Amino acid sequence: MRVEQLSWRQGAGWRGGRNVADKADLLLYFGTRAALACGARYGEMRAMFPGAHIFGCSTGGQIRNNDVTDDDVVAVALSFARTRLKLACAPAADATQSRAAGETIGRELAADDLAGVFVLSDGLNVNGSALVAGLAAAVGDGVSITGGLAGDGAQFEETLVGGDCAPSKHNVAAVGFYGSAVRIGHGSAGGWDEFGPRRRITRSQGNVLYELDGEPALDLYKRYLGEEADGLPGTALLFPLRIRDPRCPDESDLVRTVLAVDHDARSMTFAGDMPEGWVSQLMRGNFDRLAAGAADAARQASGGTRESGDGVAILVSCIGRRLLMGQHAMDEVAAAGGEFDPRMARLGFYSYGEISPHNRSGVCQLHNQTMTVTAITEAAGSRP
Amino acid sequence: MNRLFARQVAAATKPSGEVDLDALGKQVVAAYEEAARDRRRTDRSIGLMVDELDQLNRGLERLVEERTAALRDREAELRAQNLRFDAAINNMSQGLLMFDAQGRLAIHNRRYLEVYRLPPEKIKPGMTVEDLIRCRIENGTFAGDPVEYSKKINVLMASGATYNRLHELPDGRTVSVVSQPMASGGWVVTHEDITERRSAEKKIAHMAHHDALTDLPNRALLRERLAEALAHVGTGARLAVFYLDLDNFKGINDTLGHQLGDELLKCVGDRLLACAPANVTVARVGGDEFAIILPELGAINDAAILANQVCEAIRPPCDLCGHAVITDTSIGIAIAPDDGTDPDELMKNADMALYRAKAAGRGTFRFFEPEMDASIKARRAIESSLRAALARGEFVLQYQPILNPRENRITCCEALVRWQHPERRLVGPAEFISVAEEIGLIIPIGDWVLRRACADAAGWPNDTKVAVNLSAIQVMNANLVPVVISALAAAGLPAERLELEITESVMMQNTEATLATLHRLRELGVKISLDDFGTGFSSLGYLRRFPFDKLKIDRSFIRDLSSGEDSLAIVRAVTTMAESLGMITTAEGVETEEQLAQVSRLGCSEAQGFFIGRPQPLEEILRLLRDYAPRRAKSA
Repeated sequence: MRVEQLSWRQGAGWRGGRNVADKADLLLYFGTRAALACGARYGEMRAMFPGAHIFGCSTGGQIRNNDVTDDDVVAVALSFARTRLKLACAPAADATQSRAAGETIGRELAADDLAGVFVLSDGLNVNGSALVAGLAAAVGDGVSITGGLAGDGAQFEETLVGGDCAPSKHNVAAVGFYGSAVRIGHGSAGGWDEFGPRRRITRSQGNVLYELDGEPALDLYKRYLGEEADGLPGTALLFPLRIRDPRCPDESDLVRTVLAVDHDARSMTFAGDMPEGWVSQLMRGNFDRLAAGAADAARQASGGTRESGDGVAILVSCIGRRLLMGQHAMDEVAAAGGEFDPRMARLGFYSYGEISPHNRSGVCQLHNQTMTVTAITEAAGSRP
Repeated sequence: MNRLFARQVAAATKPSGEVDLDALGKQVVAAYEEAARDRRRTDRSIGLMVDELDQLNRGLERLVEERTAALRDREAELRAQNLRFDAAINNMSQGLLMFDAQGRLAIHNRRYLEVYRLPPEKIKPGMTVEDLIRCRIENGTFAGDPVEYSKKINVLMASGATYNRLHELPDGRTVSVVSQPMASGGWVVTHEDITERRSAEKKIAHMAHHDALTDLPNRALLRERLAEALAHVGTGARLAVFYLDLDNFKGINDTLGHQLGDELLKCVGDRLLACAPANVTVARVGGDEFAIILPELGAINDAAILANQVCEAIRPPCDLCGHAVITDTSIGIAIAPDDGTDPDELMKNADMALYRAKAAGRGTFRFFEPEMDASIKARRAIESSLRAALARGEFVLQYQPILNPRENRITCCEALVRWQHPERRLVGPAEFISVAEEIGLIIPIGDWVLRRACADAAGWPNDTKVAVNLSAIQVMNANLVPVVISALAAAGLPAERLELEITESVMMQNTEATLATLHRLRELGVKISLDDFGTGFSSLGYLRRFPFDKLKIDRSFIRDLSSGEDSLAIVRAVTTMAESLGMITTAEGVETEEQLAQVSRLGCSEAQGFFIGRPQPLEEILRLLRDYAPRRAKSA
């Protein structure tokens, strides 16, 4: 397996990637909406990598090795020796089509030797929980599904996803890795601290939360945000909500992040389901512990690919973490990076939702406010 | 150097190595602002959290207080409930034990200790069935193997079945024990001393089969015993059923009162038992009726011998509270299998034989014969239509005139009752009066006759009297005097115009009460005649004991006047005697002109008979009363 990183910056254009250009099987990219929306970047990438699947999305910030950047595009070209790839896309006009989109893609990718799926989805118009459920149902148990929801900085206006086409909104794309040579490690961790009383979800519908303990959820958030309430929905990410099913708290433990608010209905739309009757608790972040969480996720992922040097670690971290940490965001990226062989290329993005198997249940799920790491390597051997 | 600042410096360093201070300054300021925001955010959230937690805490404290109060109430309620439960189980009429799922005693009540007379300190929670049984063996209220018993109970209770049994205690008491498994495991046992109840039940069972007055078997038990005995009949064996009643019991009951009547029945019962062999059942089947089953009958004559013994045993006077009461019994006998093999049929046939025995003169017995059936049915038919006759107004009165020959005037008419049977000719009193006496109808019929006769006589001319016959039973009835007064009053008839005729048999039943009744009637002004004088066991003693107004000389003497000197002498003597005692005399049965002349000559004050006039309906007697004097005058 060969890996080469490249990047694009306004004024500077593309740098790197020339070595594997003609051999690359997959070009994975993450960039700001502003850089990607016009479609020019896709044209340039297609020109550089005519034979590769070109697959990426808009973000809330790009991660490249130990750096966190805005305003650029980061990418990695991957060339596999003994691993087959397949890319599939599906439209998702609104949240109600999320599960169907997942099922469509899953059916297209499903195969006996499917080793893993990396999925990128529209970050604002898709119910990530339903998407993952549909996808997992179609590909079956035992196939790891990782990935994330595309971002749009702190704007929450439009997110773009592209798979072998110019990135666009209302799109879901995924790439499947086939064969026995590919090794896909994954890890997910938060590092957030719960605080305050536990509150029951007393009224919700899908991923729209109306009431906690009979009180409008938005009122609670506004009270806690104080002056920062003006920055809703983005500032709501400063207080993620941990939810769990009281009947099986360990297997159901999830963190949810806010995508949108409705001031009239005093409701909040989350990136995943908010089931009625579940117990929730506000969380807050501490820079050091968030960074430790990121390292934890990386450690989980690297455990699976320690044997081979070359590979890629895809870091998908929540936009909420970045909003909170500000310039300290680089601390978590550096902490995660420290867990990998220096030969592993690291890139990723700040997302509106992370997708990874649950730590304890192993069921693929949508996460929020986590650092999710997918490590891809290939067992040693020559290209066929 | 601080890691963040190092990165800020690195970011602000140009490729030339020169640090862009402006850029660095901006990054540092931004970092400070971020830190300040984060601190404010942290402060704020901690403050809110503290408030919220405080509020929650207060809510929890309130909840704890409420729950504690509720718990206190519940505890008090439980205490009260326990007291009530204690009171309930210690005031039960049954002993109670409750065992837990391990078969250990959990609860017992006072009554349990009382039932088995156990000292309270002996019985403690935690004991097993076997422990309890050992305590009871010690105080003598259990006889048996405690290990075996305990094992049996444990197995039964584990099976979930309710177990009932009766324990006969060595001291003679009976305890009913009911063990009932509980849903929660363990079981409840109740112990009830049912000794008294059982004896009451036995008593009730005895009462159901015995007559309360005589304590003899009743009809139901008689029937059972008869059915049992009949089961052995058929293989050559025979048995006899006696059905008997007391002659004239009703009269005795009416005159002496029910209390003495009951005493008489007891006396008879005792005598029957005394003369009955050991294997014989003597039963009272109702009223004055008794029955005897003589099983294993050898010869028919054995039955006759016993019947004779019974009659003899009953005959001697019974001394009842100072009254020497004499009664006789009549017996009907049916033999199985000859006269039937069914209890009801045998008893019915013995009853028929009894009727025949009574008809034969009482104080005797008769064996059942098949032809009895028909004649007794006929008699039964009379009985039943007689009962209806009074209500249907089928009785009528006829009047026979009585002449004063000296004055050639009808002075009195004797009322004679007839039964206008709907399907037969006019029935004379001989055919129904004795039946009426037996079935107790004589009193209402007699009352009716009295009232009717008084009412009819009230319209007769010339102060003509009316004579009414009284049966012995009427005279002995305590109600006679009021009935007479009421009949006279209703008719508006002066007492002097009523003559009451009694026979010698009334005087034979002589008691102080009878005499008192006759005296009271006389005091009213009613005349009292002695009917059929000279026929009975008549003795002149009667005449001394009661001052009759009139003697009616029996028709047999009048009939014989022409043929014998004896009769002539008797009639003369009677009239002479009567005259000397201030009584008038009536010659009965005067059928010829010669007889009339004779009795007149012999000094009879009055004559009665076909020659003077037959019994006739009221309309005719009215005509006769109007016409007699002129007609007789003419014919004379």
